Amino acid sequence: MPAEDNQNRHQKFLRAFTTHEPAVRAFVRRLVPSRTDADDVLQEVSIVLWEKFDEFHAGADFKAWACGIARFKVLAWLRDKGRDRLVLNTDVVELIAADSLRDEPHLQKQRIALESCFEKVPAAERKLLTRAYQADANIRETAATSGRSIGGFYQWLYRMRQTLLECVRRTIAQETSA
Amino acid sequence: MNHNKEFEQLVQQYMDGRITEADMELLNERLGCDPNARKWFNELLNLDSALAAVAAGELPDNEPQVISKRKRNQTEVPAAIWILCTLASLFLLAGSIRWWQTSWQVFATVSSAAGVDDYREGTLLRKQIVTINKGSLEFVTTNGARIAIEAPARFRFESAQQLHLFNGRMAADVPPSAKGFTVITPTGKAVDLGTKFGVDVPVQGNAEIHVFQGEVIAQSSGGGKRRSLKDGEAFLLQTGAGACRELRSSAFIRPGEVASLHAALAEGQQEKSIQARKRLQNDPALIAYLDFESDELPKGTYRVGQGRWPGSRAPEFVNLGDHMKIDAGAYREWPELTLATWVRLDQLGEPFQSLLHTDGWGEQDGQVHWMVTHKSTMRFAMFGNQLASDSTSQHGFPDSLKPVLPQRGRWVHLAVVYNSARGSVRFYFNGKFDNEERQQVAHPARLGPGQIGNWDFRDRKLSGRMDELLILGRAMNDDEIHRLFESGTPYR
Repeated sequence: MPAEDNQNRHQKFLRAFTTHEPAVRAFVRRLVPSRTDADDVLQEVSIVLWEKFDEFHAGADFKAWACGIARFKVLAWLRDKGRDRLVLNTDVVELIAADSLRDEPHLQKQRIALESCFEKVPAAERKLLTRAYQADANIRETAATSGRSIGGFYQWLYRMRQTLLECVRRTIAQETSA
Repeated sequence: MNHNKEFEQLVQQYMDGRITEADMELLNERLGCDPNARKWFNELLNLDSALAAVAAGELPDNEPQVISKRKRNQTEVPAAIWILCTLASLFLLAGSIRWWQTSWQVFATVSSAAGVDDYREGTLLRKQIVTINKGSLEFVTTNGARIAIEAPARFRFESAQQLHLFNGRMAADVPPSAKGFTVITPTGKAVDLGTKFGVDVPVQGNAEIHVFQGEVIAQSSGGGKRRSLKDGEAFLLQTGAGACRELRSSAFIRPGEVASLHAALAEGQQEKSIQARKRLQNDPALIAYLDFESDELPKGTYRVGQGRWPGSRAPEFVNLGDHMKIDAGAYREWPELTLATWVRLDQLGEPFQSLLHTDGWGEQDGQVHWMVTHKSTMRFAMFGNQLASDSTSQHGFPDSLKPVLPQRGRWVHLAVVYNSARGSVRFYFNGKFDNEERQQVAHPARLGPGQIGNWDFRDRKLSGRMDELLILGRAMNDDEIHRLFESGTPYR
């Protein structure tokens, strides 16, 4: 391939991928047990997307195409890791993937709404959440800094997620009715 | 929505990696048959993704994070970076461009990788420290600049227009769309004004900028003056100052070369080369075969760079006095001789480049001096020999016809075959016969102590890398030389 075409191809790919990565990443996250697992799968997905980018037709739905490939990668990942990890059953993953794709517009709104909900969390708790959600977070240490036991910290985390989810739903309901 | 606290607890335990095997079964069962449970599950995990993204954006400092290598042979970006990118795009969708200006987005994709296990074609590069210990990488930035980097190297994109090179060697082809592309080094920076240029940052010592075409602004750190460099100019970046340098045209793997190196590796060319080497090492006429891979390298003054293969070694000669001492074949005379080498040499003009010179000239007939002349042709001079009367050589010594140093630096194979009985000197460039010179007086060759690179006089240096040197006490035929090249070329 001439260098210029290749360069052009890279730029087109980068544009498409950067735009749709959030959706693809959230899609993968819903199918694997942890965010780190999602990172692993997503990096593989990006390589396959690049390799197959020539098969993608301009104007087609990049997000749907990428999620299709991501689904295969997740299933392969589950086959590979499923033996020694506690993972969702393949048939459950297929169901969740199908629901996910159907509900994506709604889920996307929820992801956007989360920012304003997060802003509403009191500063001290927001700081703690931030710490717990870092890529290299150490939950034991984070719990200790909050003066909670590990178990107590997880219970707090569960409540925070629950509260945020309720806020997100409320925000979208208000937007819809406005 | 009809689900209970117990189910919610299971989901939360699952997403934090705390679920038990028995509970996992329960969770699978529930999700498999209850659409509402799946809906809640999907929403909570969706929130988990988005929350991680928002939390990463709350980081008090924006220090980049180093890629950690996990079990897989893949480059992995910390979740925070991935997620920030996720968020960046979310804001885009929401109509804001603010996140495009952050440093968390994708800045480049790998377009070719030769012998670099962790970075395959298509790998995305963000603000992350990338370390490569062997091989070479080529990538394209979002603005269209093409960059090739050779190991060992460590770098990080600060933005699509700014690359921080901690150490290593890179060359860039910068189109107008990426004008202003800047390379930051520990001792200064290079700002591109639409050009092709290279930057060399040794592990120890100062960085150098080499401009192949166009214009670059060089500025040493610590208040050094801005200096404009044009085609063919090179500059040493020193804190608070700087100095001119000679252009090292071949020192850099340039964009476009990595793909060819990768293709050869993919075809098993490195293995072919190893097999060919083994065969040569069993040749009864072998005098010396230097591959520079052993722990103890010959004495001398030189640097060590990467050879033709990922992670292999090649002595690199940079300064005028750089050389490597060798001592081979002193015990007898050699009526036939084949010399062959893989080199990556700069186009210098003056002075001559010494490939292999026996110590001294004039003490004994048959002393060997093999070099590249100021006209980039190869010369094979032996003391006491005389050209045939009908020779067309202009310079009194057997020379090749074709220049052997390409405009754009690449690995090239140079060979010369001497046969004193026939009085012939035959030159080969990249496996192809180039020229034969006849000699009316042709002594057997005398070897022994000698050196690669700068000879005792001031008019010889060597500028570039040498990977393999074969000294064989018999005359190889055309076919053998061709096979030697074919089995050793790192390109496809």
